[in-house]
Amino acid sequence: MIDLIAQTGLNALYAAAYLSLVAVGLVLIFGVMGIVNFAHGELFMLGAYVVVALYAGGQVPYLAVVAIGLAFVGVVGLLMEWTMFRPLRDNPLGGLVASIGFLMILQALVSMGFGVRMAHVPPFTQDVIAFSDRVRLPVQRLIVIGAAVVLLGALWLFLKRTRFGWALRASAQDREAAALQGISINQTARIAMFIGAALAGVAGALTAPLISVNPHMGHSVIVAAFIVIIVGGVGSLEGAVIAAVAYAFIHTIVTTFWDGVIADIVGLSLMLLVLIVKPTGLFGTADRA
Amino acid sequence: MFVNFFRSGLSRRRFLSSAATLSGIGVLGATLPRKVFAQDQVVRVGFLAPLTGPVAAWGKPGLDGCMIWAEWINEAGGIDIGGEKHRVEFIPYDDEYDPAKARAGATKLIREDGVKFIMMLGGDPWPGVQPVAERTGMLFSTLLPSDLSPDTTTLIAPAEVHPIYNVTGVEWLAETRPDLKTAVICAQDDALGLPSVATYLAAFEAAGIEMLEAPILFDPATTDFAPVVTRMLARNPQIVCLDTCYADYVHPICEQLFQQGYEGQILSCTADFYEQIIEKTSKEFMEGFVFQFPDFDDPELNADFINFQEPNRFYEEYAQRFPGQWGAVSWEYASIMDLWKAAVEKAGSAEPDAVLAAMTEGGTAPHAFGEARWWGRDLFGIDNALVGNWPVIAIEDGKARIKAFRSIPDWYDKHGELLKKHMAAYNQLWDQRS
Amino acid sequence: MRSGLALLAWIGVGVALIALPHGLSFSQQEILVFLTINVLLVASYRMLTLTGEWSLGHVVIMGVGAYASALYSKHFGVFVPAAMLLGAMTAALIAMGLSYPLFRMKGFYFLIGSFAAGEIIRLLWKRFREPFGGVKGITGIPPVPDVNLGIWDFVFFDPISYYYFVLAVVSFCLWLMWRIERSPVGLTFHAVHWQDKLAEAAGVNARAYRTLAFVIASGFAGLAGALQAHYIGAVNPTSFDIEQMVFVLTWAIVGGTATFYGPILGCIVLTVLNEIVLRGLGFEQTRPLIYGLLLILSVLFLPKGLESLVGRVLPRRATSRTRAIIGAEEKA
Repeated sequence: MIDLIAQTGLNALYAAAYLSLVAVGLVLIFGVMGIVNFAHGELFMLGAYVVVALYAGGQVPYLAVVAIGLAFVGVVGLLMEWTMFRPLRDNPLGGLVASIGFLMILQALVSMGFGVRMAHVPPFTQDVIAFSDRVRLPVQRLIVIGAAVVLLGALWLFLKRTRFGWALRASAQDREAAALQGISINQTARIAMFIGAALAGVAGALTAPLISVNPHMGHSVIVAAFIVIIVGGVGSLEGAVIAAVAYAFIHTIVTTFWDGVIADIVGLSLMLLVLIVKPTGLFGTADRA
Repeated sequence: MFVNFFRSGLSRRRFLSSAATLSGIGVLGATLPRKVFAQDQVVRVGFLAPLTGPVAAWGKPGLDGCMIWAEWINEAGGIDIGGEKHRVEFIPYDDEYDPAKARAGATKLIREDGVKFIMMLGGDPWPGVQPVAERTGMLFSTLLPSDLSPDTTTLIAPAEVHPIYNVTGVEWLAETRPDLKTAVICAQDDALGLPSVATYLAAFEAAGIEMLEAPILFDPATTDFAPVVTRMLARNPQIVCLDTCYADYVHPICEQLFQQGYEGQILSCTADFYEQIIEKTSKEFMEGFVFQFPDFDDPELNADFINFQEPNRFYEEYAQRFPGQWGAVSWEYASIMDLWKAAVEKAGSAEPDAVLAAMTEGGTAPHAFGEARWWGRDLFGIDNALVGNWPVIAIEDGKARIKAFRSIPDWYDKHGELLKKHMAAYNQLWDQRS
Repeated sequence: MRSGLALLAWIGVGVALIALPHGLSFSQQEILVFLTINVLLVASYRMLTLTGEWSLGHVVIMGVGAYASALYSKHFGVFVPAAMLLGAMTAALIAMGLSYPLFRMKGFYFLIGSFAAGEIIRLLWKRFREPFGGVKGITGIPPVPDVNLGIWDFVFFDPISYYYFVLAVVSFCLWLMWRIERSPVGLTFHAVHWQDKLAEAAGVNARAYRTLAFVIASGFAGLAGALQAHYIGAVNPTSFDIEQMVFVLTWAIVGGTATFYGPILGCIVLTVLNEIVLRGLGFEQTRPLIYGLLLILSVLFLPKGLESLVGRVLPRRATSRTRAIIGAEEKA
């Protein structure tokens, strides 16, 4: 039983790691640009397909591929900002529809390029850290956990310690006021979009060897990410991380001890409960709604 | 003229031919690039399945396989209908796995394109098509026999009788490895997972294998399988059964079983792309993995009783054109076409009722894996499912090998009551559905 | 004089709509039936958005109407048209229940909150095989009983007959919604949207009006679901998932929601493009790609929606609406 609980904890830690990466990116984009990026799950998918394209061939080392995935999806984010979200800045519903259109395009392109069936990603390493017979942490999962901590830590430092970070936080709090302070809205939007997309991409690239990579894999991730950012409060990065960890633990535990469908119902119900008690999420403020 | 159009005045055959004529006149807006005049030379078959969206993996690869099939048949002169050679042409319609779109699609294929036969994946879209099938008498095929019911006599399940053939794997395993006595099972909570669970439960009970706990169901949108695997391994089973999990689940589950230190037997319905699973785990781990879908380059498929045309060449051609896309559905639709072609040539006509009569004559028909009989009254209320032998496949030294062909009817004659009991418990009998 | 002209225009529209299916191919007639039902759905969605809130649960509410009507008629033998009305009321009641938690939220929170509420309902359908039929849903739903009115023998399997039935129901519902929007209640909906705080200060209970709009819209959506269920004869949880919701959302936004006809126009144009034009051109497998591109282009270059085109061509509001509908129908 102790083994079972310990293993469940390790499982949850991994789920929390990649979920926070996706959710923080989504929060950042929403916070700075006010746009609900429905295509965020597809950016995650795109990161995984970068690994399929470059790593399955075997020439490029895995960590380099992950870095390429991060940069490539970040650039796709810039492209989205430039072609869609900037012209639609004062039209959040238009931005929402554009991101839905973009999602369809990404799914269709990947289906055409790689087929509708799942794609293959060879394992990066098969090493396992065995605490006991039944408590085991695969190194691949450890890498995802480690990368999430490092990347989110770096993001935190960036936001708190640099001028860009300060500008970003200011815009996330109040875009007009930030503009009056001389902060370039275009620049902060670009930075937010790059970082947000890159985080989704790197999450996809890191988890690609561990999950099924297919053109529609983004869907399940975005649903969980939405739940997480709502519970955390949409303006709050810390809230997103805390909510991701809480959601991952609750979901994993319910799946292990009851079943997966009930876990989904519990997750959604808890989210509604949080909203009923505190309609702006645990760490959100009313202004950002 | 539209008044009473669907009333009994018209016979089915007249209905179909008048429909074809109408489409020939070119009803306003009908998009018909192909000329109807060519109809005496061409016979059309509809392919009504998801080609885009999340379920496309169950339709698109089948259409690809059919294209190869049609090329080969047409190169060889086409289909002989009453002494005249006809080219085969597939008309695809993407139903997006939606009953409303499937209904519009069936109407278009039948009344505007004049197809003589429609292949479907089945499942959710079928109820939308069912009234169209009943009114027009069009011949339909499905991959999911759970669509069968006595209401629709022109729907057949001629390729796979999912999930009944899974009993062959359990039976073979129990004979080969009598030391394995305990099992756990996990399945996605959907229309494929549940009847399969019932089948495995019956097969395990028949083989005297004990279930350590109730089947673990997970949502089809699950991506991380670590919790499911942790849960299964907590009971220390000798057999882990993956039910009819899709490749998208089988791979990560196997990977997790491997990483979490499982070393026992694995049993599954499918193992598409198993060489990738081996790469993610190890050859030793996957050795002896039992499942139900052969590679078509297997030399066993060259046996005389196999009715699939040139399986080895088909596999090669497919792998070359669509690398990495081979799976169960790649050959199943094409094998239905083999059966249909044989019936058309036997009947000397492509009309649905004549073909169906020729196909079911004598209660048997040539299935891909050998002569099989029309069966299913107990479970589906109608004998429109084609069952016979089914192969049991095991992975040996990194390659899938057919270990045996087992008779499904023989198993059912012995253990039919068990299957009915478990199917009833999961509401899967035809009179329990809806 | 003006009312006489308007009457004439409306008669013209009516004749055109009645003649329409006879100019279409068989499969287009089928699509027309679903399109007409979706017009009701998207028009009801606009009613909900009048108060400024955007829901992602509307299609699930439509499903509630479909499931309820199917169950009433199948298990309790309720006369089908009556079951449809009961289904619509059930949808409205469920919406009333949901409104208590949901209207504590606003904006983005409401959007996602409504999505979550809808997903819970969908998971319940999947989870409880009795009475909802689990993932396979309910099949064998009784059709609307055939009637012979002398002038027309209504056989409701036939798409033309069912289209006439749906057309009558949907037209009546659209007229009702139009009346509601023009009534003092409807004007308050607008006020709640644009001047939330001010309306409250003036003694308007904003939340009560939001709830009212939500409940009315849900009733109409439930009716749309019931109309669909009794035509197809089957309902299942996948038919009401987020992908369908996304389509409704895009119809409304691409069409534009400033006018009554905007979302209807969006629904008609996008459906015709996706189901008839793209399929007809042979893009069977690349439709999502082109459709996605069209969505982006339309919000970029027509940010006020298709309705703004109509407004530009025909400045007068009353006639512009009717002609827009005729024009789009003719394109169909």
